Amino acid sequence: MKRFLLRVLLFSLVFFALDKLFYIFLFIAPKLEEDHRLELLLNGKINKELIVMGSSRGAYNIIAEQIEKETGKTAYNISYAGSNVQFHLFLLKTLLKFNNKPKTIVLSLDNPYEFLYVKTFDYRYDKMYPLEKYNYINDELIRLDDKSKFSKIFCLARLNRNSFNFRKKGVTKESPILECGSMPFSIESGKNNFKFDDKKVRYPVKEELKDKKKAFLEFQKICKENNIKLIYCLAPNFRVYNSTLEHRIKDISLPENRFFVYDTTDFRYKKIEYFHDESHLNIRGAKLFTSELSKFINLNK
Amino acid sequence: MLFNSLTFALFLPVVFIFYWSVNKKSLKIQNILLLGSSYFFYSCWDWRFLFLLIFSTLLDFFSGIQIEKAKSQYQKKFWFWLSIIVNLGFLGIFKYFNFFAESLKDLISIFGFQVNIWSLQVILPIGISFYTFHGLSYVIDIYKNRIKAEKNFIDYALFVSYFPLLVAGPIERATHLLPQIKKKRNFNYEQAVDGLRQILWGLFKKIVIADNCAIQANLIFNNSTEYSGSTLAIGAIFFAFQIYGDFSGYSDIALGVSRLFGIELLQNFSFPYFSRDIAEFWRRWHISLSSWFKDYLYIPLGGSKGGRWGQVRNTFAVFLVSGFWHGANWTFIIWGLLNAIYFLPLLLLNKNRSHIEIVALESKLPSIKEFVMMVTTFTFTVLAWIFFRAKNVKHALQFISGIFSKSFFSLPTERPTYLILLILLFIVIEWLGRRNKYALEKLEFQYNTFFRWSMYMIIIVFVFIFGAREQEFIYFQF
Repeated sequence: MKRFLLRVLLFSLVFFALDKLFYIFLFIAPKLEEDHRLELLLNGKINKELIVMGSSRGAYNIIAEQIEKETGKTAYNISYAGSNVQFHLFLLKTLLKFNNKPKTIVLSLDNPYEFLYVKTFDYRYDKMYPLEKYNYINDELIRLDDKSKFSKIFCLARLNRNSFNFRKKGVTKESPILECGSMPFSIESGKNNFKFDDKKVRYPVKEELKDKKKAFLEFQKICKENNIKLIYCLAPNFRVYNSTLEHRIKDISLPENRFFVYDTTDFRYKKIEYFHDESHLNIRGAKLFTSELSKFINLNK
Repeated sequence: MLFNSLTFALFLPVVFIFYWSVNKKSLKIQNILLLGSSYFFYSCWDWRFLFLLIFSTLLDFFSGIQIEKAKSQYQKKFWFWLSIIVNLGFLGIFKYFNFFAESLKDLISIFGFQVNIWSLQVILPIGISFYTFHGLSYVIDIYKNRIKAEKNFIDYALFVSYFPLLVAGPIERATHLLPQIKKKRNFNYEQAVDGLRQILWGLFKKIVIADNCAIQANLIFNNSTEYSGSTLAIGAIFFAFQIYGDFSGYSDIALGVSRLFGIELLQNFSFPYFSRDIAEFWRRWHISLSSWFKDYLYIPLGGSKGGRWGQVRNTFAVFLVSGFWHGANWTFIIWGLLNAIYFLPLLLLNKNRSHIEIVALESKLPSIKEFVMMVTTFTFTVLAWIFFRAKNVKHALQFISGIFSKSFFSLPTERPTYLILLILLFIVIEWLGRRNKYALEKLEFQYNTFFRWSMYMIIIVFVFIFGAREQEFIYFQF
């Protein structure tokens, strides 16, 4: 028995030492990312007056540095393509934990998918994995049941097979990340084989997900508690505007929050030259939309 | 408490150290400790069902004694049937009530009537199919005068509730496990090391193979209408490795854990995917369940004594009941039926015992004929697994018709290279170790400490890197 325990102990010690060598992969992982916004957030480097949050429609359609120029407020964009409202909530909590709280948050909404299930809108675990060296991130992944509690002890349990992929990851040439965190699409990269959709799509109220609504309510509650002005924002799609989501949001929104919708009468939002694809503007469209948003911010100071 | 959780990683060493440091290695205290740990282990899922487990244990314990003491055949039968009916009754209520209610509702609706049949909104007590079968075999064996009734409640309760096998088997027999529980156990270094090695291999199968295959299999099965025939075929193969890695991995962990306590459990898997025909497959897959059905269903029904027709009837009965045991769904029944159909030609040609020894016993590689036979058997097995995994029969049929479409000849859209490489590595290791009880068993005798430790380290690294979420074992739902 004693021999057995000693051998197990010795093996465990050797393994423990080996495990610590793998820290190098945790250390390297953030450097392989081209998008450092989440890491900046964790390091308390995003101390701005206005923060833009949302999914791809926030990242590609809203140019933070333009807002800065047009409103005089310092601004930064921490929108992530393909992210859902639960992830936005996590970003908000992270922002408030490690940085100075902003005065205004612009939350770009996904019309009509904000509360619906869509495969392409998810919690962006993949953005968190490269930052596993931060205990805060690891704890969040454990809370989400994405990592086991072993990761509190072992470096290896914080790694995954992508940790051994040493290629640069994250940003494409067609939407490079700007210093302000925005990622507008270049004009050249756009598709040209899509048409304006003038059919109104039915909004399936019954299919709304409770978890998404809960996260949304918590998001606005946190903003209220921290005295942050919250602006909900709806960017154009290359289709006729459907106001159902706007009404759904207004029903549950706190009265002090503001709601901004693009100018649905502006003919330019029906021109393909302003769009990258059916759901996203290109840089020309983004500039137009951002200037509208800036005016709205100036009016609601 | 999952075998692959941190909680279990803390629970096991604590129980192990207490168990072997008991004063003078008192058997009684060791058994009490194991029983208490088993009840704690079970109550970590849902403590309320612990009462059901204890009630079932008490019933079978007293029924066994009463059957043995009975002075008349009437009394003997009374206690026997009481135990059988109550045990199967619990199983029926918790596992099959809703299935029968729904089936009845569907049947009535065929005649144009709509009825509302009350359904049970209750979760299935974990392990109920396994511990019920423990109890049943025990009572049947006493009734048939094969064994004596156990008089020590602690020992009997431990036989039913021993934590390594409590939730997903192997399904033990009183004749095999009870004598070990009653015998003084001394710590055996080699046995304990071998136990740890088997646990490690089980974790590799579960976490590296099964859980990673599960991600792909779930993706393909849950969106089957969107995929080509070739992708669906690959999805079915992923599921075949998922279920094998999951269940045999669980069994390896269970056997390994038990060895740490000096108790040997029944081998449950013996490289089934290297089988050359379906009869061999069933001698190598979930062995403890197959042999249970053989002893307590096939033979009582007449076995092979009733002529060819009787043999066919009994074989079909066993496969159908086996399918139904897995779950209250027509998919499992069809899965059982399919396997019976596969079995039929072998039975009729009297070739169901052609392959007893493991393939290529004396050589490194199989012959071409053996290889073709293995691939054919595997293909038929995979086809049956589709019913096992599908949501319902319609889904399974859609899936199969999707495979046998023109798009079968296109390149699969989901073909994760890392997973295919992992599966190939797994097959190679299993092939090299196929003559043993589990793939890594003889590592001790073949290589020096440095090589062995390096191997263990690599396996642990794989387990950590390819494992993320703690995922439940498939057989927990049965």
